[in-house]
Parts: sequence; structure tokens; C-alpha cells
Amino acid sequence: MISLLDIAERTQKGRKMPEDDWNMSLFRKIGELVKKYKIPNYTKDTPFLNLDDDLLERVFNAGVDLIVEHGVYCITTGRVVELSREEVLQAVRESPSEILVGTGKDARWMKQRKVEGKEKLNFCPGHHSPFTQDLAPIVVKNFAQIPRTDFIEGFNFTEVDGYEIFGAPIEAYASRKQISWMREGVRKAGRPGLAIVLYPITTRAEVLTAAIDPVDGLRSGDGILTSVLPDEKIEHDLLATAIACEDHGLWRISGSFSMMGGFCGGADGAIVEGIAKPLTAMICYRVYVNYTGVENVRTVSALSIPLQPLNWARSVVNQTLNRFTNIICMAWIIPTSGPGTETHLLETSLRTIEATINGANLYAPRHSRAQMNAGQTPVEGELMVEVSDATLAAGLDRKYGGEVLTSLAKKLEGRTPEPGFTIQECYDLVNHKPSPEFEKIYKDVKGQLTELGLSFP
Amino acid sequence: MTNGENQGALENLKDAILQYDTEAAKAAAQKVVDQKIDPKIAINEGVLSASTILHERFERGECFIPHLVMAGDAMEAAGYILEASIPKEQITSKKVVVIGTVEADLHSVGKNIVAMFFRSGGFEVHDLGVNVKASSFISKATDTNADIIALSSLLTTTRPYMREVIEELESVGLRDKFKVIVGGGPITREWAQEIGADGYGTDAYEGIEVAKQILGISGN
Amino acid sequence: MLSLLEIAERAQKGPKMDENAWNMGLFRAMNELTQKYGILYPDDQPVFNCDDSMADNAFEAAIEFLVDTGIYCLSTGRIIQLTRTEIMDLIKGMPKQYAVGEGKDVRILKQRRLEEKDELNHCPGHHAPFSEELAPLVIKSFAEIPTCDYLEGINFSEVDGREIFGLPMEVYAGKREASWMRQGVAKAGRPGLAVAYYPINTRAAVMIAPIAREFGLRPSDGILLSVLPDVKVEQDYITTAIVWEEYGGFKLNGNGSGYVGGFCGDLGGAIIEGIVAIITGWIVYRDIASWGAVWPSTGFMSGQKVPVNFSEDWGTSVWAQALHRHTNYILFISPPAISGPGCETQLLEVARRAVGIPINGANVHICRQGRAHMNASQSPLEQEWAFEVASAVMHNGLNRQTAGELVRKIGDELRTRTPEAPYDDIREFYDMVHHKPLPEYEKAYLRTKEVISALGLTFI
Repeated sequence: MISLLDIAERTQKGRKMPEDDWNMSLFRKIGELVKKYKIPNYTKDTPFLNLDDDLLERVFNAGVDLIVEHGVYCITTGRVVELSREEVLQAVRESPSEILVGTGKDARWMKQRKVEGKEKLNFCPGHHSPFTQDLAPIVVKNFAQIPRTDFIEGFNFTEVDGYEIFGAPIEAYASRKQISWMREGVRKAGRPGLAIVLYPITTRAEVLTAAIDPVDGLRSGDGILTSVLPDEKIEHDLLATAIACEDHGLWRISGSFSMMGGFCGGADGAIVEGIAKPLTAMICYRVYVNYTGVENVRTVSALSIPLQPLNWARSVVNQTLNRFTNIICMAWIIPTSGPGTETHLLETSLRTIEATINGANLYAPRHSRAQMNAGQTPVEGELMVEVSDATLAAGLDRKYGGEVLTSLAKKLEGRTPEPGFTIQECYDLVNHKPSPEFEKIYKDVKGQLTELGLSFP
Repeated sequence: MTNGENQGALENLKDAILQYDTEAAKAAAQKVVDQKIDPKIAINEGVLSASTILHERFERGECFIPHLVMAGDAMEAAGYILEASIPKEQITSKKVVVIGTVEADLHSVGKNIVAMFFRSGGFEVHDLGVNVKASSFISKATDTNADIIALSSLLTTTRPYMREVIEELESVGLRDKFKVIVGGGPITREWAQEIGADGYGTDAYEGIEVAKQILGISGN
Repeated sequence: MLSLLEIAERAQKGPKMDENAWNMGLFRAMNELTQKYGILYPDDQPVFNCDDSMADNAFEAAIEFLVDTGIYCLSTGRIIQLTRTEIMDLIKGMPKQYAVGEGKDVRILKQRRLEEKDELNHCPGHHAPFSEELAPLVIKSFAEIPTCDYLEGINFSEVDGREIFGLPMEVYAGKREASWMRQGVAKAGRPGLAVAYYPINTRAAVMIAPIAREFGLRPSDGILLSVLPDVKVEQDYITTAIVWEEYGGFKLNGNGSGYVGGFCGDLGGAIIEGIVAIITGWIVYRDIASWGAVWPSTGFMSGQKVPVNFSEDWGTSVWAQALHRHTNYILFISPPAISGPGCETQLLEVARRAVGIPINGANVHICRQGRAHMNASQSPLEQEWAFEVASAVMHNGLNRQTAGELVRKIGDELRTRTPEAPYDDIREFYDMVHHKPLPEYEKAYLRTKEVISALGLTFI
């Protein structure tokens, strides 16, 4: 597989291009590929989840073509990294479909799944969300305590040791502290070898790599979030971090979903970028675990609950990646309602069923517009596991699962996202359980899911 | 020329923009000039009125960021022709926005949307990209005689760099020269008030409206 | 004692100042302090300062500068301000000795007493560029010097066949440098020898990347974090200092110096700046040792004559004495040369500076041609020679007066010579396989030794 040093060199020597030109050129190229490979758009007659297996190979080829014919853009140098078809396909062939994360008794195999597979999914319950420093000791433990946790991601915060986190020096310090607290938290949960993924305090290379330390920081078996940017873009701080990680045996994870409505265009174009991005992450940052799929550029504003065509588009992307690559897909559930609410749990459940059927593992559910201490609780993660297992037990395939999802989606249509609560308001961190009110909501949602055909032990 | 013919010319102009067709927009603008329609009316009814429709389309998912770019190109091209026929002393210069994602933050999607909304809303936009230092914002704003500096952040930990821009403006005596609006995932109205920003938008729509209010621009 | 987080915050929130305004402000302040405290070269033009009150005044002037003017952070354009109490409290925290390295290769870096026979610490190399193919043998060669207490890294322009350009490659190169240093010292039978990372460049990510207990830099190793000229610090360095502080590695200031003719002004200003730079390195980065001196602002980059300026020697001695009398600081002095290695002139230049090392209570730091050239800036011989001369000075019981006379005589000898750089590659004058100079160079060394002996220094 092409080396990261080669990528680094190409970012330095590839042809120059203004970023605005790249953006519009990408839009045109994706449009051409959508036409060439006859990638359809979603209509009211399209099934909830993709059932067209012939589409998947066309989508894969479109994704490969995008990289081969258009390249990857380095925003640091304003240059295009060009890759040959053989290089891309070699990377597809040679990348592993499973990697070992964590150490000792807590080591886990992260695996690529099959579409409509029968195996239980890998799972990360949190964080990728902001929590205040005072909660750090107990929050991490709560999430790490969830038995099915395979790895856990760090969290963001705004103050450390009484200092505002502002400026590279304190950011680097905070980065080390994040992992130090994570390390302590997983130990307290009795999972000392649980894999920890650094969530960037900021994306400066020095801040990301400052946390590497086998004693109290990131060690072999841990990971760092190094995401390919929207519109097929990479960047030097993240590439430098990827290179630094290689020596230490740290794996990386990339946020590789595409954004419908952006420069990739509509759902059809977002599908193409949804294939290209994880391939780019693999080639340019050596990332084998990606959170994949399609989101909407408006999701972060959390003003409406996004449903179709995203569900269908995500299913096309995840099915394609699982069929034609070794990429280990993860579904990042980002509900637009806040934690402690019915809509939040319904959105979580819908996306979980969808992920399970499409073969995407389960990743850190979090309010799309997370505020301090109000991004997530352990309940959502635990519900994800329950719902996923129930989906497997029910033997839901794409067709029947699609019908269940259609019914579930109807419960969300027209509803406004609820703002939600802070973790302290809806969850008992000492005793690891939801507040009575939240528990009621949780049970009620499970009841609704039971009515739709899922049974829970 | 009859009112009907005038209205038709303005509709053609608007349609050209809504079809993202720069050449057609230029031709339609030229026709407006040839028909001696008041260019200021043409700018408002033919050009800027398209932006509301575009924003609604975007909200409905019927058009995407690149369409806003192309529409912006068409608007600029048409506007250039129309403005050439306005006596200089009557020209209201475009409001200028300098926008970017603050230092140490690489998120761009939200910022791109806001930038395109501003552009298609008739503003002159200078997008500095991501990971932008405070000094770069100020330098660009000064060079372009900007009206607004728009700051985006998507990491809770990069919010303080918004404050830095404001403090830097104060320290060089330029705070009163520019309006600062802020937005992004972790940004709240309270944060905006805390740091002394002039405005805050939950999303791109609100951002544009807030910007217009601050600048005293009415209607489109 | 103020924490580094506090310093980082002050660098972010202190009063703003334009850099040009800072520079000119520094100049004015140094001028005033020089006059106020009478930091002037005596009329009898001694080589080494013999007036303790001069050293005390210089120290006081430095403290006053720090209190009244502060430290400038280049990255933020802000001033780090400190009170007198904070500064004095910090100075009290300076370690008088520091353990570096591990296992059998642990060494204690110490503050030495002025004019005394305390054992010398020695960093014999590198801080110089060597190409990738020479790295394995070069590092081993220097690590084989028995008196080596720690070794500084090397710089290079290519790695794995690629040019080092752009942050990703620089990070990779930084890690490789640390890895080669580790292998090189192990090959010399000194696996625990402390390595001080010489930055590929000064980006924080590049300075943090080589940290790796197993195969890179360990907590028993160090890094170069230097104060910039004109009392300036910088955020990449502060970031690195904070990370290293937690990690446990030591930090070194490669610029505890003042530059005559720079923004500090004249000789008096350079002395004050040199003292300020040392204290600043400790306050802002927690540098536990430093090398420095008083230099001309043009440094040792080029020249048609070998520089012989006793006022700077005197300035260096005031600087050193001030620090010894009022702090615990561990000082190194580096005997640089305009001439390149492999010749008599350079060995004489090295000797001239090396005499002052024990007199000034300092330790021996890297000799190197001032204008370093790839693969041709240094060899182990100059280092061993510098140590030899410094040891001989102690053995001969020289003091400030008698050492000054010796320095004058060597200076007179140097005035008759033109700088030379006869070789382009270390392999042309030094046998790294067998750790010895090639015959021509050996002859030059022996001749130089005879010259110095004839001037009155008896070698052990």
C-alpha cells in the first residue's frame, strides 16, 4: 500500500489549485459520475433501505473513480494528491477487515460486518461530546462500565486545572489530561486495557500527539480521531499525526460520512463521496475504522429531524463498503433531540436498526448540537445495544427491516427536536441509572419498539 | 416600455439566477439596462429577490452549496452590469463580510453555508477558510473595508478564539469599525453575549437576518 | 513557584505590544540599566572580570529588567509580566544539579564553582547537520567519548530518500532522529546515555513527536528549548515545555546569551540580556541548564579574521559570575570557531574559549564551526581537545588573572592567522570506525598542543 510518506510528498508536490476551484470541480465531477453510473435519487417509491444489489457495484466504482480521476485536496498546501487506480485498488485489497484494539483482557477485535449479518456489532458508547472537568472522574467510568463497550472515545472540555483552555500550550496539556482521565476512568470501571480514542481538544498536530505516552497517555492499542474533511480534503496536522501514530501502534478513526447538500450535491452525489471518503481516509491517514454514511449539512443546526433520503443513502453507502471493501464501518448516531427525551431515543433506535441491518457497528450516540454536559448519557448506548441485538434476534432483513423502520420513522415525522437535559438532570452517575422520569421514557420507547416487532429479554 | 414588459425583464433576470446561469443572467441584466428599467429596482427585484427563493430551496434540499456558488456568480455578474448604469453618487456599495472558521478548528461545512447565503444575499464575501488566526481576520477586514466579521467554530475548545478576535480588534482600536457575528455547533446566544459579539445565529438563515438587522438593511 | 500553565496563560492574556515597539523598548531599557548599574568594560581591559560588585550589579540589572519590562511572547504579541517576588521565588527553584540518563549511564549535571577544580560536565556533540547515511556511525563516535554526559541530536535534510519538507515529513524525521540517537548510543555501549533532542524545526508537533519511551526520547532524555534573542519566547516552545514537563524530560536553553550590537545595545546590555535569557529560559520553559556567553551580534558565521575580542570574554565572565553568585544555575559554555574542523586554527580557536570554561564555573559544550556545513562541522577530536584544555586549566590551578594572560597569548597567536576550513566531509579528516583522527589532523592536533604548552599550559 502506498506509504504515508508518499502521501506527504504528494501533498507537497502535487499540482496547485485554489480551494474554490477544487470545490466546484468536485461538484461537477460527482455530477458526471452520478450520471455515468446511473446512481438514482431517492423517490417516494424507493424502499426505506436499499434493496438493489446491482447498484452497489456501480456506487463503488463511482467512488473509486472520484479519487482516481479527481484526486484528494490538501488544504494546507493547496495541492492535489493524485492516486492511480492501482494504488487505490491495492489499498482496498490490502487493508484489514479486522483490527485488534485495547490490551490484555480488554482487547477487542473491531470487525467489518456483513449486510444482514448475524453477528453482534462492535460498540463505542460515548463520548465525542463536551463534559466539564468536575464530571470527568465519574462520566468516563459510567460509559466504560457498559459491558459491551469495545472502545471509548474522549471528551471535550473548556477548562483544566482552573485555566481556560486557550492557546496551544494549554490545549496540549488538556489533551494529555483528557487521556489521563480516560485511563483512570476505564481502570475504575475494571477495564484497564480498554481502548481509548483521543477526541481532539483542537486539531493541531502537537495537541493530538501530546497525548501519546505508554504510561499515562495513549499507548499501543489506543486510537486518535483523524478525520478526512468534507469535499475530499486532507490536512497536514492530521497527516503528521497519522505518521506519528504509526511508530506507536496507535490506530485511527475517521469521520468519513458525506454531507448531502454540500459540494457533493444531493443524496446521489453524497453516496459517491460517502464511498470515496473512507477510502481516502485509509490511503492518506491509514484509517481502517470509519464512521460512515450520509448526513445532511443542516443536521448540526438541529432544527428538524432528518429522515429520508438519508436513511436510504446511508444504507447504500454502508452496504457498498461492506460488500466491496474491508472498511470497518461504524454508524454515528447523532440525534437532533437532546438526551432524556423520547424523540432522542426514537431517533437512536431508528438509526440503530438501520445500522445493524446495513452492517455498520455502533458508535457514540450524541446530540447533534451537543452542549456542555448535555450531549449524551449511557442510556442511549445501552439502548443501542439492546435494539441492535433485538434486530438480530428478529432476523430483520433489509425488506422487512425497512417496513419496521418506515413505521418507526412515522413516529418522528413532523416532530420538532426536543432540547433535552444535562446528564446530571436525567441520569444518576453514582448508581449508573437513569432518573425515574428518563427511565419511564426509556421503557416506553422499548414498548413502542416491541409493538413494532422487536422483543427484548 | 410597458409595466408588463418591465416585469418580464425582471423575471427573466431572476430566473437566470435561479437557473444558476451566469451568461443568461448577464444577458438579462443587459436587457434591463437597454430597456432603461431603474437598475436599483432591478437589483432588488431581479437579483436579491432570488436569494430568498434560493435559501428556501436549500432548506428543502432542492439545491446545495454549489448551486449557491453558481447563483452567487450569476448575481455578481448581473450586478456588475446593472451597477455600471447607476450614477456613481447613487451607488450603495455592497456590504462586505469576512468569514472563516477560527484558529485550530478545521470544520467548514456550516461556515460554507453561511458564506454562500451571504453571497447570494448580495454581500461581498471573503472566505478565509479554516484554522484562521485572529490577525488574519482583522487584516482581511481592514483590507476589504468589511462591515462584518463572521466567525464559526465547531469545537467547544476553539470558542475562545472568537473572543480573541474581538479582543484583538479592541486592542488595535478597530472594534467599532466592524460588526462581529458568531455561530457554530457549541456556540450559544449566551456565549455570544459573554464575549461581546454583535450578533449570533443558530443557523445560516438567522445569521443572515441578524447581519442585516445589525447593518440596518431591510427587505431582501 | 509559578506553574507553566500560569506562564502559558500570561502569554495569552498579557498586555499587547507590537514587536518593533518591544525591540526598541528593550534597547532603551538596556541602555538605561547599563548606565544605572555601571556595566562598563574597565579601562584596564581584563579578560576575566575580577570585580565581584560588577557581577552583582549585572544580576540586579537583569532582575530589574524582568520586573519592569517583562518577557515578550512572539506568537501572541503579548508581554508576560512577573513580580519581583515571583521571579526571585522562581530563581530559588533552579536545581543545582540534575540527573540525566539512566542505569549505568546516569550522569549528574552540576553547577560548578568559579575557578575551582570541580569535575566538568561535557556534551561533546552534535547540534550540527549530518546526512542520513552517516548518522549511525557519527552518533556512535561521539557517544564513545568517555567524558560524554549527554549527547545532542543531529539535523539532516533527507530521510528515507525523501526531502524533509512539510509538517508530516518533519514529524517523521524528528522521530527518526530520536531513534537513531537511541541506537547510536547503544552501539557505543552507552544505552542509557541521555540524548537531548535537537529540533528538526521548531514546530511543537515536531518537538513532541520524538517522545517514545521504548524507542525514542525517554523521561531521562532532554530537548533543546531556547529563548530567542531580545528576550522573546514562543508558543510552540511553551507547548513543548508543558508536554515535556509532564513527561519528565529535561530541557536546555541553547541561547543564554547576549549579543553585542543587537537590540540589547552595547556590551553592558549584552551582559544583562545574557543573564535575563538564562532566567527567562528557566521561568518560561523550565530549562535546567544552558549554554551561552556574550557574543558579537554577527556571531561566528563568517569573517576574514579570527575574532579576538577580550571585551566579550570579560562580558562572558561577568555573566557567568552573576549567575553563580545569585542562582544555582548549571552553565555550559560552547567554544565555537569560525574555522572548520580538521585544522590547527580551529583547535586554537577552541582552546582560547576552552580556557575560560572552568574559570567561569561552566561545563564544556559542543565545539562546532559557527557556520555549520553538512558532515563537516565537527569531529570528536575538537571536543576531546576542548575538554583536555579545560581540564589542564584546572590542573594548572589557573585563576582569573593567570588564565587571562594565557587567553591573551592564544589571542595573539590567533591574530596572525586567517580562518580556514580545509575539509568538506568528516571522513576526510577523521576515522569514525576507529575513533581517531586521520594522520594529517593528528599532526595538527599535536602541533596545537605544543603551541599551547609553549604558552604555559601543562597538559595532564
